[in-house]
Amino acid sequence: MPTTRTTRKLSELLDPKFMARLDSLDLLSRKILQGKLQGERRSKRRGRSVEFADHRPYVVGDDLRFVDWNVYGRLEQLFLKLFLEEQDLTVHILVDASASMSVGEPAKGLFAKRLAAALGYVTLADNNRLTISLFGDGIRAQLPNMRGRNYLPQMAEMLLATECDGLSDFEKACRDVETGRIGSGVTIVISDFFFKRGYESALRRLIGARYDLYVIQILSPQEISPELSGDLRLLDIEDADAAEITVSSALIKYYKCNLAAYCDELRNFCTNRGAVYVQANSADSVETLVLNYLRRIQLLR
Amino acid sequence: MEFLTPLIGLYAAAAAVPVLLLLYFLKLKRREMLVSSTLLWKRAVQDLQVNAPFQKLRRNLLLMLQLLALAAILLALAGPVLALRRGPGQRYVLLIDRSASMNATDVRPTRLDVAKKQAKAFIETMLGGSALSWRDQSDHAMVIAFDQRAGVVCSFTSDKRQLMTRIDAIEPGDGASRLGEAVTVARAFAQSTGAEAAGGTGQKSAQLILFSDGRIVDLADVVVGADELVFHRIGEAANNVGITAMNARRSYERPEEVEVFASIENFGTEPVTRDVQLSISGNVHAVRSVTVPACEKETADRPFRPGQTTLNWSLSHGEAGVLEVRQLGADALSCDDAAWSVLDPPKRLSVLLVTQGNPVLESALKACPISTLDPCTPAGFDALDPAAFAARQQYDVVVLDNHVPAHLPPCRYLIFGAPPAGIDVNSPRELENQLVVDWRAQHPVLQYVNLTNLFATRSHGLELPRDAEVLAEFNESPAVALLHRRGGTFLLVGFDVLQSNWPFEPSFVLFCYNAMSYLGAEAGGQRQRERVVGEPITVENASADATFTVTCPGGAKIGAKADPGGTVRFPGTHRVGVYAVETAGQPRQFFAVNLLESQESRIEPQEKIELSGVAVSAQEQGVQRANVPLWPLLTLAALLFVCIEWLAYTLKIRI
Repeated sequence: MPTTRTTRKLSELLDPKFMARLDSLDLLSRKILQGKLQGERRSKRRGRSVEFADHRPYVVGDDLRFVDWNVYGRLEQLFLKLFLEEQDLTVHILVDASASMSVGEPAKGLFAKRLAAALGYVTLADNNRLTISLFGDGIRAQLPNMRGRNYLPQMAEMLLATECDGLSDFEKACRDVETGRIGSGVTIVISDFFFKRGYESALRRLIGARYDLYVIQILSPQEISPELSGDLRLLDIEDADAAEITVSSALIKYYKCNLAAYCDELRNFCTNRGAVYVQANSADSVETLVLNYLRRIQLLR
Repeated sequence: MEFLTPLIGLYAAAAAVPVLLLLYFLKLKRREMLVSSTLLWKRAVQDLQVNAPFQKLRRNLLLMLQLLALAAILLALAGPVLALRRGPGQRYVLLIDRSASMNATDVRPTRLDVAKKQAKAFIETMLGGSALSWRDQSDHAMVIAFDQRAGVVCSFTSDKRQLMTRIDAIEPGDGASRLGEAVTVARAFAQSTGAEAAGGTGQKSAQLILFSDGRIVDLADVVVGADELVFHRIGEAANNVGITAMNARRSYERPEEVEVFASIENFGTEPVTRDVQLSISGNVHAVRSVTVPACEKETADRPFRPGQTTLNWSLSHGEAGVLEVRQLGADALSCDDAAWSVLDPPKRLSVLLVTQGNPVLESALKACPISTLDPCTPAGFDALDPAAFAARQQYDVVVLDNHVPAHLPPCRYLIFGAPPAGIDVNSPRELENQLVVDWRAQHPVLQYVNLTNLFATRSHGLELPRDAEVLAEFNESPAVALLHRRGGTFLLVGFDVLQSNWPFEPSFVLFCYNAMSYLGAEAGGQRQRERVVGEPITVENASADATFTVTCPGGAKIGAKADPGGTVRFPGTHRVGVYAVETAGQPRQFFAVNLLESQESRIEPQEKIELSGVAVSAQEQGVQRANVPLWPLLTLAALLFVCIEWLAYTLKIRI
């Protein structure tokens, strides 16, 4: 029974109770909320739009079907009812699968996959279009343009099958994603953002008029407050670069300052460009992050 | 600051510093650890290095602390001293008193041991000689141990080990202490070798360091500069009871009877009662309890006087023997608790009178209690074989009346007229009309003899050697003299009695009596058997190259050889007691060596010694340290550094 096998695989990432709660959620795009009003442009799925937004005076050429006759009866003037467009949302989730994500206790990679699975579940459950890309040194695995719950096992299998390994080239991954995506929607990047060659130009590619960008930085507790001692030779898991340190309180202090500054820099970079920055600790639970924090910043509803 | 042993420190530094550095480098074997990215760590390390110069120091703090601790230890090894008063290398002469009073046990173990300890402490503080000394002038010291005689224990050197070993080897003695010779010897050495050793600083006289209890007989005769002498007082207590005089003699008239006289003195402030024991050859003869009064303290107009009691015994002893008078109470000083006297078997004199015919002399001698008086002509005396004469020992005294003999066999001589040849006495001219101007009435020969009216029409001018004793003097020449030569005793009278008015004087008979008594008893027997400490034992008339064994009071046996002249000399009488001299084929001879010195028995240490014109006070502390050793402080500092290092390491680990 392939279906039960893959479902069980999804359950390795997400708790069934959690999945039940995710069913009631929907993924939002702020940009769509702000401007994509029905009447300004034709909606592809006209009949489904039921949410009233506003009135505006009638001008010649408007669709008479949207004239509010009740208002005409009271005021003898023609007003159009404006409805929110029920947008066909494209969600693009980019998950970092480089070797650096495998570090940490609990591992950042698993946390990132579970978060991606949760967000993907919400997207597919709402019949939105979902593209999941796992990137390392370029795009390592991708499931494009999924729609509907049928794709859930496939998504889960891909997430679980791909190990966190290899170098990271964020720039190249973003270039590939940018050329491949169409339409408008939400882009979510899940990574630790420890890119030696920088993340700025790569993120700039993803920020565009038609896409909301959410940047979720995942850090392990060992990275947030390291508990090291003695004389150490730190090896970078990706490029085997070595850093010799003698742990002292001063060094730890400087490290923490640097980390805070790095995160702030990333946050400022995002907020200045209309992207949303979220920091997550891999020791926290994905459920809390999704159900509380992401709803508070109105990525989910 | 100076270094006593800079070489040792340098060697240790050469070995230890590279080792520490090596260890420090070896220590930096880092543990490897995988992290997601070294990005932030590298930035943090950079920040650490760039932003905080103090942190750079902190990184090496452990090494710095280790280096400091090591430096402290190395400095301590180099033996740094804080020089309190330093000039160029000083020269010291350590004068160590080893006289009888230094054997007192009021400070443990004995005063001499304490003095040696202090002397060694002083040596330790001297600047050591080293090729790498900052100033190539180390301290030099010489050591002189003295009692009556001064002995150079170690001449000027900067070798501390040698000095210490030699100081350790100083043996205690029982003599009186005389400083004069020691100071003379010290000056002689300081001027000759010291001037070369100190290289041009010969102007500076050597510092004399005296370790003594201050009981020195000849202080008034010693002249030192104002700051030349430093006096370290040894000893505490004053209580002592000692025998300060002892004499035993046979009565001249009744030789069987022995008169023993002893004087016992108390130097403490309380009267003491002591048992005094007289024993003959080890057998106790009598024990008498005596109470000795307390001493009289020194006041402005009266000198110190010890409490004194005299004891007399009269006993009959017809054999040879060794008499011992011993006080039985224990006190700090033991060498003055006993005195000895050697008793010869009773003997009446046999006298040979060599004369052309002198009825005056003959009748005077006949009046003396002698066993035989054999007259002999000068020609008959010259015809005697001197060797056979000496071997037979038939006569105790030979009286030469106006005769210069051809040969002089060893014997006791009373000589009237011209002196014989071969005894270093010359008679270059004849004098006329001589009157006696002075005589020594205290001498046993002249006891009760009044020479006021003695007049000689003709007399031989005597030129005496330096060791001769002049007993009476004419206005131009000695009249009566006593001399020891060639194993014999010579009592010289420089004129013929028949050419003087002496036969008509009562003093002549008395003189003959005294002379016979002295030559027979004092010179012939007793005098040769009693010595003060340090005086050599001599045995005359031994066959040449005979081997003698001297048994010392401690039981040690020392061999001695007769010189070609037939005299055995044994100088090692440093301790009191009875010495026995033995040789094959002759009976054992005993010699008594006594202290009998009131100044030594008074063991109370002097606070201040009065040299001639200069008073020297005792130093406050035991040994004035010229140099304060800094090594304990440095060792402490090293310990402190190690502790700080430990603390720093722990703090760093615990972050």
